[in-house]
Formats: sequence, C-alpha cells, structure tokens
Amino acid sequence: MKWFWCLFFAFWPILGIAVCLVAPGYGWWFPGPAASPLGQRIDDLFYMILIITTLTFIGTQIGLAYVLFTGARRTDPDVQEKAWFSHGSHELEVIWSVAPAFILLFIALYQLDVWADYRVKDLFPHEKMEGLLSEGLHQKRDEHDNMHLAEVTARQFEWRIRYPGFDEDGNLLPLEREPQPTDLYDVNDLHLPASAPVMIMLKSQDVQHSFFLPELRVKQDAVPGLVIPVWFEATKKGEYALTCAELCGWGHYKMKARLVAESDEEFLEYLRELHRKQFFDGVVEAESEEDEDE
Amino acid sequence: MSSATTTAPESGHGHHHHNPEDRLALLKQIWMFSTDHKVIGIQFLVTTLLMLMVGGALALGVRWQLAFPWENMPFFGLLFPTEGGQISPEAYTMLFTMHATVMIFLVIIPVLAGAFGNFLIPLMIGADDMAFPILNALSYWFMWPAIFCFGASFFFGGGPGNGWTSYPVLSAVPEAAPGSGFAQFFWLMGVTLVGVSSMMGSVNYMTTIINMRAPGMTLFRMPLTIWGMFITAILQAFALPVLTAAGFMLVSDRMLGTCFFIPSGMVINNADPTVGGGQPLLWQHLFWFYSHPAVYIMLLPAMGMVSDMLACCCRKPIFGYKPMVYSMAAIAGLGFIVWGHHMFTSGMNPALGMTFMISTVMIALPSAVKVFNWIGTIWGGRPEFNTVFLNCVAFVSMFIVGGLSGIFMAAVPVDIYIHDTYFIVAHFHYVLFGATLFGVFGAVHFWFPKMFGRRMDETLGKWHFFLTFIGFNGTFFPMHLLGVAGMPRRYADPYLHPYLENLLPMNQFMTICACLMGFAQFILLFNFAYSLFKGQKAGMNPWLANGLEWVAPSPPGHGNFAAVPTVYRGPYEYSAPERDDDHWLQTEPPKSSPVPEPPKPEPTPDSAPVGEDTGSSS
Amino acid sequence: MKPWSFLIFCSLALLHLTGCNSSPPQFSNRAEFDDLEPYAQEYVSEVLDSYFGTPTESVAWERLPIEYHFAETTVSGSPSPRKVTLDVSAGGHGSIGPGTEIHFASSNESNWITEWDAATGLATLERKPTQTIAEGEAVIVGPGAILKNGRHLYAQHCQHCHGVSGDGNGPTARYLNPLPRDYRNGRFKFTTTNYDFSPSRDDLDRVIREGIPGTYMPSFKLLKQEEMQAIVEYVRWLSMRGEIEKQLIETALADYTHEAVKLRIDGGASRGEIETEFNKRVAEGEIQESLDVVVDLMVERWKGSDLPENMVQVATNRPPATPESIARGRQLYLDVNNKCASCHGDAGFGDGPQNYAFTPGKPGPGLYDDWNNPVKPRNLHTGIYRGGRRPYDLFCRIRASVKGTPMPKFDTMKEEDVWDLVNYVYSIPYEEEVAGSGRLEEMVDSAESETEPAAAESESNEVASR
Repeated sequence: MKWFWCLFFAFWPILGIAVCLVAPGYGWWFPGPAASPLGQRIDDLFYMILIITTLTFIGTQIGLAYVLFTGARRTDPDVQEKAWFSHGSHELEVIWSVAPAFILLFIALYQLDVWADYRVKDLFPHEKMEGLLSEGLHQKRDEHDNMHLAEVTARQFEWRIRYPGFDEDGNLLPLEREPQPTDLYDVNDLHLPASAPVMIMLKSQDVQHSFFLPELRVKQDAVPGLVIPVWFEATKKGEYALTCAELCGWGHYKMKARLVAESDEEFLEYLRELHRKQFFDGVVEAESEEDEDE
Repeated sequence: MSSATTTAPESGHGHHHHNPEDRLALLKQIWMFSTDHKVIGIQFLVTTLLMLMVGGALALGVRWQLAFPWENMPFFGLLFPTEGGQISPEAYTMLFTMHATVMIFLVIIPVLAGAFGNFLIPLMIGADDMAFPILNALSYWFMWPAIFCFGASFFFGGGPGNGWTSYPVLSAVPEAAPGSGFAQFFWLMGVTLVGVSSMMGSVNYMTTIINMRAPGMTLFRMPLTIWGMFITAILQAFALPVLTAAGFMLVSDRMLGTCFFIPSGMVINNADPTVGGGQPLLWQHLFWFYSHPAVYIMLLPAMGMVSDMLACCCRKPIFGYKPMVYSMAAIAGLGFIVWGHHMFTSGMNPALGMTFMISTVMIALPSAVKVFNWIGTIWGGRPEFNTVFLNCVAFVSMFIVGGLSGIFMAAVPVDIYIHDTYFIVAHFHYVLFGATLFGVFGAVHFWFPKMFGRRMDETLGKWHFFLTFIGFNGTFFPMHLLGVAGMPRRYADPYLHPYLENLLPMNQFMTICACLMGFAQFILLFNFAYSLFKGQKAGMNPWLANGLEWVAPSPPGHGNFAAVPTVYRGPYEYSAPERDDDHWLQTEPPKSSPVPEPPKPEPTPDSAPVGEDTGSSS
Repeated sequence: MKPWSFLIFCSLALLHLTGCNSSPPQFSNRAEFDDLEPYAQEYVSEVLDSYFGTPTESVAWERLPIEYHFAETTVSGSPSPRKVTLDVSAGGHGSIGPGTEIHFASSNESNWITEWDAATGLATLERKPTQTIAEGEAVIVGPGAILKNGRHLYAQHCQHCHGVSGDGNGPTARYLNPLPRDYRNGRFKFTTTNYDFSPSRDDLDRVIREGIPGTYMPSFKLLKQEEMQAIVEYVRWLSMRGEIEKQLIETALADYTHEAVKLRIDGGASRGEIETEFNKRVAEGEIQESLDVVVDLMVERWKGSDLPENMVQVATNRPPATPESIARGRQLYLDVNNKCASCHGDAGFGDGPQNYAFTPGKPGPGLYDDWNNPVKPRNLHTGIYRGGRRPYDLFCRIRASVKGTPMPKFDTMKEEDVWDLVNYVYSIPYEEEVAGSGRLEEMVDSAESETEPAAAESESNEVASR
C-alpha cells in the first residue's frame, strides 16, 4: 500500500502539469493574447513567473516524491534501516534561504517598470494622448483641458458613459469634469479609438466597482468618491469585453458591457451618430427614420 | 486541587464523577461549562467540525449555481417555490458570503487556535491547565452568540450579501444590497463576538506559554506546534483590535449616521444622496490589516502541528528546528506589512504598491524555507503511511501549490489581471483548505487517541483522505485556469459573458468533484463518531512520540499529569543512534546524567501563582 | 456495527436529499383572485391555463398579437425529398438554424432542420417528410420558439425581479426602490405611444436596451437582436395574460366575489342558487362572451400600439433653447392650470405641495401610482431622465404622461408650448452651473454665460441635422 501512496503523491503533480499544458487548447487560458502593449508586458511577466514557479513546483514535488520513495524503501522488510538522526544542515538552510531570496527579489524588482508605467501619472504617455486628441480627433483644446476622452460611471448594475459633444463647427469638445448640455451619453457600450493610448475618468455613482477589460489586462476599481484616471491602448480594432470585477451587489454579474476600439474616423462618426440619436425630437423625416427603429 | 500542580495526584483527581477507565470522560463534559482546557478543546473541535459541514453545504450551493446556472437548486431551491427552485442572484451573494464567513470565522480559526490550541498547549508544555481557565471557557462560549448572530443574519435578514470582506459603501449603506439591513448588522456583531472569543484565547495562550512551561521546557525545546500557537496568539493580539474597531465604525456608519466609509453624493437604490466625506478605502486598509495576518493565523498552527506529526511519523528529528521557528516568526512579522497587496487595483499610491509588492514577494521566502525543511524531515526517515502521514504530506504538497500561486498575485502587474478572478480563489483554497484543513485532518487522527483513548479507524481515514484529496484537487486546481481565463469571482452567472462561455463544462466537472469532497466529509464524521465507541483502544503513547502530551494518560484526567514532568530534551529526538528505541520521551532522564532531577521539582516562580489560580477556579 | 453499512445508508440518504427538488415554476394569481368564490377561482384558473398554460408548458394562443414563431411562411420549392426552400423574402429570422422545428400545415407534421442557409432559405430536414411537399404549402418555422426562448431568457435575466408571472414581485423585488414593473395592468410608464395605448414593441425594446437610469433596471444592451425580440414578446405575453386575469376578475366575474355574493345572500338568494346560476352562465357561454369582449378590446389596443399613427406625433422641430423659450417654459411650468409646480415644486426639486396632500382612497399622504405604491415626482435637477434623454422622450412624457402615475397628459397643449417646457426642463440641471462652468475661464466670469446652454443646444441641433 505504501507504494501506492508514493505513486499517488508523485502522480498528481504530473497530472496537474498535463492539465495546464492541454488547457490552452481547450480555451481554458487567457481570453486571447493581450490586446494592449502593457497587457503584453503583463503576459510576459506572467509567463516568466509561470516558468519560475513551474520549475520550483517540479523541483519540490520531485524532492517530495524522492524522499517518500526512499523513505518507503527504508521500511521494507529486507532493508529495515533506521531513520537518519539529523537535526538539519546549516549549509542547506543557507542555500535554500539565499537562493530563493535572490530569485524573489529579482521577481519583485523586475515588475516595477510595468507597474510604474501603468499607474504613475508622470509616466503616462501624455504626448501620444495629446497627439490623438488634437490631431486624430481634431479636438479644439489648450493645455488646461482634460486628456480624458470619456467618463465611465459605474452604477448598480451598468456602466454609464459620457463623451464630450461637438461645438458649433462640428469639432469635438474637450471633456469637462462636470456634465455639459452638449455631452453625449451611452450605456454599456464604450467606444474609443484604437492604436493610441486613451484615458478615461473612472467614477462610481454608488458602491465600489471594478473596471475590468480582460483582453487588455486592465483592471481598476471605481472607488466611490474618487475620480480615477485609467489609460489603456487597444492594439487592434475590435470588440472587447468590459466587466465588473469587484462585488457590487446582487447584480454584480450583470455589468456586461463592451469596449469597441475603432479608427479615429469611426469613433467620430460613432459620436456623431450618438449625437443624432440623442437630439432626436420626434419629427420623422426620411433620414431619421432609422433612429425610430432603434 | 490547588496541589495538583505541585504534588502528584493520580490522574482524574478532583473529578469524582468518572474514573480513569471511562474513555469518554472528556466527551461527557462537553455539554457543561467546564473550565478544563481539554474539554474546551473538544467542544471547539466538535463545534467546528459541524460548522465545516454547514460551510461545505453553502459552498456546494455556490458550486451548483456555477455548474447549472438558474437550474433548480437542491435544498436552497426549496426557498424559491414559485420560481421552481431557481435561486435569485442575491441568494447567491448570500451563499458565498456565508460560506466564507462560516469557514473562516467558525471553522478554520477556531479549529486551530480553539480546538487544538486549547487541547495541546497545556499538555505539550507540561502545564495542568491554561493560565486563565474561566477566560478559556468564555472564549468557547462566546462562539455561540457569534454562531447565533451569523445564523440570525441568515434567517431573519435574508443573509448578508456583501462578501466576507464587506467592502463599504455596499456594506455601509443599508439600502445598497439585499440583506444589508439587519443581516449585515448581525454579521458584524458575529464577527465582533468571534473576535472577542479569539482575543480571550490569544491572551490565555500567550500567558500560558510564557509562564507555565514545565521545568526544563526552554523556549527552544518547545514543540513547533506551541511555537505556531504562540506566534498566532501574538498576531491575534495585535491585529484583532483593528478589525474590531473597524467593525464598530461600520456599525456606527450604518446605525448612527457617521460617515467613516461613506463619501458624499452617492445615490444608492434611489435614496437621497449620501452626505459625508468618508473614504471607503479606509475600511479596506483596516480590514486587511487584520485579515491578512489572519491568513497566517489560519496557517501557522497547522504548520506547527504538521511539523510535529511529520517528525513522529518519519521517526526522525525535525529538519532545521530553529530555521522553522525563525521562519514562522518572519512570516508573522512580514504578515503585518503586506496587507496592501489586497488593494493593488483599489487606488493606492503607486510607490506604496511597490513597497507592498516587495514585502509580499519576500514573505514567500520563509514559506519556502519551511517547505524545504519539511521535505528534509521526510528525507531519510522511515515513514509509516498511515492516515496522519498522508494528510501531512498532502499538506506539504498542497502548500507548495498555494505558495507558488501566491507569487503571481504578489507581482502587481500580474495581479492587475488576476485580481478578483478565480485565480485568487484557487490560491487561498490551496492554502486554507489544501494546507490547513489537511493539516487539521491529520491532527484529528493524530491526537484523537489522546482525546478519547481510542484510535480512529485507519481504513476509513485513508478513504476519507483519498476522496478528499481527489475531490479537492478536482475542484480547486481548475480554478487556476478559470482565473487565467479571466473569470471574475462572485459571479452568479459568468456565462452571460461570451468570453467565459466555454468554461461551463469545466465548472460542471469541478462541481462534481466538490460533491465528492463534500460526501467524503461524512466519512470523517462517521469515523469520528464510530471510533469514539468502537475504535481500537490506545495506550498512553500509541504513536511512540516524544512530546509531553504522550506521558499523560489517554485521555488525561483533570490536571493532566500524574506528576509535573521534567523536560530533558527537545521533542524531536527520534532514532537517536545511541538508543535501541527509536523514540526518546522528553521526560526520560538521560542515562548519562549522574544526578537525576529531583522527582518533585520546586515550583518555578512562574508556575506557582498560576497553580493557585487554577486551584481557585476549579 | 459494520461501518460500511452505515456509510451506505448515509450516501443513500444524501442521494435522496439531492433528488429532493421543488416543483416547476408556477404563475401566481393577483391579490383580487382571493376575493372570488371558489368556483369562480376555478374558472379563472381554467381559462388562464387553457389559453396560457404554465411557465414551462406555455400555450401559444393565436388570438393574441404576439409573434410566437420564428416565421410563418410558405414553401417555394423542394429540390430533393429531404430539402425544402422556404420563402424568406420577408426576411429570415436570425434564430433559425440547425435544430429548429419546422411544422408543415397540410400534413400536420413536425420536422427538424439540420442545415440552414439563411440567404437562400434552403433547409435540409432531419427526416424525409411522409407526404411530398407542394410548392406554396404553408409552414411554421420554429413553432412557439420565440415564446420558448423568451421564457428562457426571461427566467435568466428578468424573473428574479419581475417575477414568474410578471407581477413585479420576484425574490429580489423587495429590496428595490422603485419597485420593478408589474406588467399585469398592461400599463408601462415610458412609452412613445399615445396615452390610451400600450407600449409599442420599440418602446419595450428601448427600455431593455438602454435600461432605466435612476432605477435598478439595468441596460441589457449586448443582448442579440433575436434575444431582445424574444424577451419583448414574452413580456407582452405576460402582460396580456395579466390583463386577462385582471379583466376576468374585475368585470366578467364581478358578481362572484365574496362581497357580491354576500350582498345577494343578504338579499335573499341562496349560495347554491348563485353557484348554479354561475354554472348555467358558463355553460351558455355568457361569461365567455364577456371575456371575448375584453380580449378583443385588449388585442385591438396592443395591435394599435405598434401602429405609427398611435405614436405621439410631433410636427415641428424642437426650437432652439433660447432664453426666451426657456423663460416661456418656466412660465408654463408655473402656470396654475398646468400644475407642474404643485408636484415638481417651484424650483423643480420634486418637492411640490402634492407630496404632502391626502387623496381619498390612498393609504397615506402623497402621490401613488396605479400599483398603489407611493411615488415621488421627479427631481428635475439630477439630469437623470428615466424614460430617455432625447427631446422626443421628454415631449412624450409631457404629451402622453408617465403612464400609471399621477403625471397628467398634456395632449391638448400647443406643440410649441410643449417644446418650451422641454427646453425649460433641459435647462434646470444647469441653472446654477451653466455650460462650460467646469472650465477655468468660464468660472471667472460666469455672469455672461446665461445664454450658453441655449447656444450649445441650438448648435448641436444643427450638427444633428447635418
């Protein structure tokens, strides 16, 4: 029976690793490769830690299996060896304290860059954002204006989104902190330009939520009372899931929304369409009939 | 009875209603307000094992919903007759909240510190009881108001649905969540009462361990179990007041209109906007300042017990005793400065995030040292593959997984992605179930003979272990993959989101494994009850172990020891080459010693007043 | 005792308990149902059961204006015995696909689609039909499938608040403020149809899509079009079921409530006589007749609600929100005849005197809606527009009211007056903080920016019309 248990403890790590190896094939892995540059760096870090931990896992489990097998062997009727009388080994203790310490410290220090780029305000890609706003979207702006392109307000249980509207010449206005009559509103459908860093204002209307873009590897809690700047960059045009990742009440799972990353023109066209819908006054003409159907 | 510590009464002295042959003597007292630490320990053990079943049933409800969303749910579905047994989402939030609450506050913390701490500390250090026996009894009886409060929140208030972390504003505004009315208040009261219970235990353990050790029991001759309990007690003493204070702040936010955690202008459930100017993150800081050390409160005693059991089962001294002690101390110390890693995505100064990341990553170091030392302990031993040993090896094996997965979330950028996904759930179940509970299962089997004078059934024990291990890994290993796939926690219906749709079959597999695991616990309960009456009789020292508890009768009578034991060596001197016997009791006088210790040692200045205390209380 | 025998017992007990399931979901009855005599109750249950069935075994009553099926169309050809081409000139339904049932009218036979080409309408059938299929034969694709899908989606998304029978009394409902809609009166607050009509399909669709800000009704924007349609049809179906129950109890069976029967007994009739009379009336179809009248009226109303002519009509474009228009709107708002301020308050904070007034028949002071729940007039300063923020939405709120609430309809008010009111209502949230006040320079001299919102509005109108 003891051999069964030795095999049992040796077998399950093999099974575990096998499951992990086949998992991506069944889609039990990341929801697609990271769709943002920062997300790719996060994935790289993830894989680096995965490699280090997997090696450690294999090493320790082999060690465990080895000591179990040799221990079991020692109680065989033909062997009947006494256990070692050893209280430990100073050298080994030093080795297995110092080596992991260096590895762990390396892991910690190696992460700092990505974290800083993600969260330290001074390191935000301001120029690129500025470029997108003033050149890509032709926003009339000066240096005092917000860099944010949308305000996302989480509430139980949906994402309310506010975009800046257009001025009299059809130019995009900068987003103000307070609502404006020209502002455009949508819900659960966040459209933003792709291929450039964009920043949003994250707010909460009631309780704590968390703005989670799994494909972009972005997560930031929306803390009541705070306005939190979040920036991200979708590398490709497309639709991405947007969900809530912080328990916000019974309908937590219902906060299903999407991020649509599109070209600058498409984004502007989307805003114009939003404008047309939002200022629809019920006079049915040929061109506005489709609004009715909506 | 005041003479119990200094003279040497036969076991059972002072208790006239049972004789030493009565193997169930301790159990018979669990209905009473006994101040005997062993009775209190068994009271804790029985209570927590029952609560384990309650918490498990709640977990199965959660699993059912994840595997068969909105299908007719067994048991809980009966609460929803009109809907045909389809539960509502707020019932789901209540299920996972209460699962966590029951498991953490009513199972893991009390089973370690309450049950085994109480039972083992005096026995292992050679004391006749705890320093403050009445306080000790109170610490158990404060559990019941707590259980009542949690139960009341469940039955009268619809159950709190804010998660066991109870983040405000959700938990601070009664309108914010279903069951956030009375239920949340009762829940907070329950947590406070559990805290009171823990605090009384903590004070008691520290005093007992510092003052009541038997002669010769120096600090570094203490079993690692005692070290684990000691460090845990210190952690509780320092961390718990913060939670209690935070809890009262939350209660006053809810009932007195203060706004510690409520910012102004929040419109919740169409109520008037909140006034106030509080900060929800304050709660998170306070809560995790307790709850992160609490994770180690839920682990360190198990680490200690597993060390003791491994050494005994392998007939080999523990590998690196002092490094083990120092790592426990390091874990506890670092445990106080890592709480911020629960809040990496909450909004925090990035520099602070970096600090927390470094401290969190470094806490893996002492954990790693411990794992290596456990493997070193088995290395070169001659293990007997009994239920105790299997559970201990499972502890080590699972703790490796739980520890390694912790590194992912310690790294902030990676944590940005996996925070609040099932990866976290997998991680802490590997630590709290995979490690702690397997350790507890081992400890139940190991010390059962000491508690009741009979051994637990080995066949049933192995089946329980086998099924639990398979069920456990089948349930929780795939959770890592769910987490990587980005499945957030606490979703009643994750499949609403297209990117999670393909995870349904895996969740169904996990639920089946969870049911298997739940079933296996009935084997444990049955084995426990069966062995009480029919188990093989055990003598004083069935495992041929070295610790002081094994020189007391099984079960020990009131006052534990026939005479105050004198300690001559550490507890791990197994297979000493100069002896034929492979164990060497701590109390056995060394042969080489020409002058044996006096049979009736002078009471140390420490233990004398304590002895009087005990006397007056019994 | 053998441990194993006990273990086996335990596991059997466990299996037994796991199998211990509750009964399937049930429609509940309205409170007035309990006032009926038992035989009348039985009759109501029979009628509802035969016309609507149960939530899981629903009946598609063809008389109701509900789209039960994916498509009702004809066969346009049959290239091979197991293949038919269907006429999809009216547009094939998005949900048709492998596994969809197809019902042939002439042979009264069901078959299932295994392959489907939406563009050509070519369907491969699971088995060979027993009769040859003639061209022009009528088929139903997915009989009852929309209702079935609707029920499924409703149970997943809606039921826990709105209840199995659409009574707005699901398990979650008691935690919500305002309460979820009770569909059973056929009244829905936010519609673009005229006062007497039910919501159009588009109205329901819009509410599900956009949610109702300020309430717990979330936006379900990412549901597929087919899913949305199925939910809308199911909600209409529940609403009609509820209406029939209500009408049946309140009109057709009004003579058989406990109270009415007691009065007649006091007047000399015996209980047995009344029951015999009831049975006679049922047998002679008298009650069925009065039910038919009710059903006809209801069907007409629901059908009419989808017709364009019954929508709130707007002839002129919304005028620019000039200070003059806003000032006129303000005048109209304060006008005693319009009574806006009596509920919404002089300053629009929703704190008018009616909030504290007693109305006969109501349980307490203040305003109550048709469901007898207290309601508060909207605070117009929040910038939250529950029924939508389009000018047309506000126009409809004024013209056709918020149905089921004390908000009156202003269907005789001149259109330009309504627009002035709309412009005024839009300006309220910005009364203190005018447009652009978040910007630094505007903060400095906000005195001149009175006209800014108006200007911005008119400009945006121009953009809209481009």
